[in-house]
Amino acid sequence: MRRRLNEAIVFVAGVAMLAVPAVVTDRYVLKVLTFVGLNTIVVIGLALLFGYAGQVSLGHAAFFGIGAYTSARLVMSFGLPWVLSVVGAAVVAALAGWAVAVPGLRLRGHYLAMATLGFNEIMSVAFVEARPVTGGNDGLGGVPFPSFGSFELKTPSALFVLVWAVALLVWLAARNIVRSRPGRAMRALHCTEPGALASGVDVAAVKVRVFALSAGLAGLAGALFAHSVGFISPSSFGLDLSVLLVAAVVLGGRESLSGPIVAMAVLTLLQYLGALLPGLPRQAAEAIQDWVPDIVGATLIAVLIARARGGAPVRAKEALGRGAR
Amino acid sequence: MRGKPVRALAALTAIVLASAGLAGCGAKQEAGGGGETKKEPYRIGVVVSLTGTYAGLGTPEKQAMEMERDRINAEGGVNGHPIELIFEDDATDPAKAAAAATKLIDQDGVIAIIGATGTAQTMAMRSEIQRAGVPQVSMAGGSVITDQFDPLVFQTPWPNRVVVPFVLKAIAKKGYTKIALISDTGGFGKDGHDIIVKEAPAAGITIVADETFNPGDTDVSSQLTKIRAANPDAVLMWNAGKEAALVAKGMKQLGMKQPLFGGHGNARKEFIEGAGDAAEGFVFAAGKILIPEAYGTGTEAYKVATDFIESFNAKYGKAPDTFAGHAHDALMIVVDALRRVEGEVTPAKLRDAIEQTKGLVGVGGTFTFSSTDHNGLSESDIVLYRVENGAWVLDER
Repeated sequence: MRRRLNEAIVFVAGVAMLAVPAVVTDRYVLKVLTFVGLNTIVVIGLALLFGYAGQVSLGHAAFFGIGAYTSARLVMSFGLPWVLSVVGAAVVAALAGWAVAVPGLRLRGHYLAMATLGFNEIMSVAFVEARPVTGGNDGLGGVPFPSFGSFELKTPSALFVLVWAVALLVWLAARNIVRSRPGRAMRALHCTEPGALASGVDVAAVKVRVFALSAGLAGLAGALFAHSVGFISPSSFGLDLSVLLVAAVVLGGRESLSGPIVAMAVLTLLQYLGALLPGLPRQAAEAIQDWVPDIVGATLIAVLIARARGGAPVRAKEALGRGAR
Repeated sequence: MRGKPVRALAALTAIVLASAGLAGCGAKQEAGGGGETKKEPYRIGVVVSLTGTYAGLGTPEKQAMEMERDRINAEGGVNGHPIELIFEDDATDPAKAAAAATKLIDQDGVIAIIGATGTAQTMAMRSEIQRAGVPQVSMAGGSVITDQFDPLVFQTPWPNRVVVPFVLKAIAKKGYTKIALISDTGGFGKDGHDIIVKEAPAAGITIVADETFNPGDTDVSSQLTKIRAANPDAVLMWNAGKEAALVAKGMKQLGMKQPLFGGHGNARKEFIEGAGDAAEGFVFAAGKILIPEAYGTGTEAYKVATDFIESFNAKYGKAPDTFAGHAHDALMIVVDALRRVEGEVTPAKLRDAIEQTKGLVGVGGTFTFSSTDHNGLSESDIVLYRVENGAWVLDER
């Protein structure tokens, strides 16, 4: 009964979200909220990988970039229909995630973080150097808008609906994953690897799959990003985005999807606060803009000191169960 | 277990709706708030990088424009209208730059946009600029900005396609025909490299070695060893980063006696400080702002440049760099065009007025735009400098 009610609330909230363009006509606000939707898709993937399976990745901006460039190229150079390009981009990013995860399996904790960080840096250089493909530092402009046949989605409100519809689908899929067997395997893996192994969880396979899935979601968001902004360049896919994503998962809390999503929404909106709250004096807005990285860093440290589990409330029973760790 | 996601989702929806709603109300508030005795201000949007990689460029740009805005308004504004600058930080992110353009156009209703600091950020704004038909004056140096021509987009720095042929001619004039090229792989270095390779034959110069390094590299000795083996007459370096000092120091360590040349990316005090005595004799091309005497002391350009340098020094306690100069020029171009617009100012009329800019003396040079040239600078706006006793002096040919 309770569950059904909750599902209904989720549905209503989802519809309310998609109805935002009917109320809001400001193109800029819609664009910023579209960015929130894109980041939501990436952070759901990272919450599965980091929050549930406990595998840290400081390289998700690279997968986001791989998706963006792949989809842009598939449409612009190979003339693929938009839908196929986006799917292709997600697949390519997932394959890249798989390729990182297989050797990465030998690493954990800080070493895995370092390896993924290295991957992010390598890809940053690759995005700059592969000039014929990526346009180098000058960027790649004129990426076509999303289209279904001859129907083109080019207004900010259409793009908003597209991105949030995808985000909601991804969210629902992720909820199902964490409630079912793979989700339990991921949590077991996070808690204790030998324990998971002893319970018959194929630890290696779970790690690789969740990494590939997570990278694929980042790639999907990257593809949507490329087509909704219309311009991509390497500076959008740097380490700072990877760090922001990890910060959102840490702030949002482990074993939670909604926590990281809300954290990411706040972190994203913080950067545009000056424009979203026009009552704010301009000086204050500019000061906030200047201090965003510091605010994020300080909050992160404060949360880690006060409550290493992140912002999501701790359930007493589960906390007791963790005593062995 | 299930209660929380729902609550969080509701919270998220609330945040989004609230921010959307607030933004909607605020826009209305602002429209009614400007009830001054003076005429309505001219609103100009500015997109600069105040955080991220280009923060070091965007900050002096903002300072220069704030100083100029205050001066213009103190002198009574433009045709009685004060100037209002609305600054947006793009955090060196192209997507943020594009969003900032949307904000400035839709929420603030600006008549022109100055920016961005970087080339990619400038290019990312283009689709918004085209949609709204608002003129844009960029402070970024990439040739691509005016090579991919758009009637709405103008540019103030000297592009590589102007500086490179100037440097090549200077090298040839000094009697060097075999040169080694060392450039970085960043946007500026790569752009310059490609133009050098294309233009060298026309200047009668052969490139005998072509080496590159990455921004952030800490050692270039293997590239320099290869260059030494190629035995060039001179070495030409094209980059904009601090690695230039490594090249100069490395050549000295390897005992290379060839003269070293460079471009406007090396017109930085950090280079001389970093390279020490290895910088001695380094010859580079840059605008005349470094030594305004290059304009000739009686000229208007000399006066504009020294005025700018002195007031910048007085206000911020340091000499302006070339980036501050590009920002000064960008604002000056817009203001000059505003003065010439007749009747009510619209973005379209302003664009036409900017395109008609003729002989406008700025800090970086004298700007003359045309329907095919939206950079407006020529070789006569740059000069050769030489490093001597730890300072730059004019290199008389």
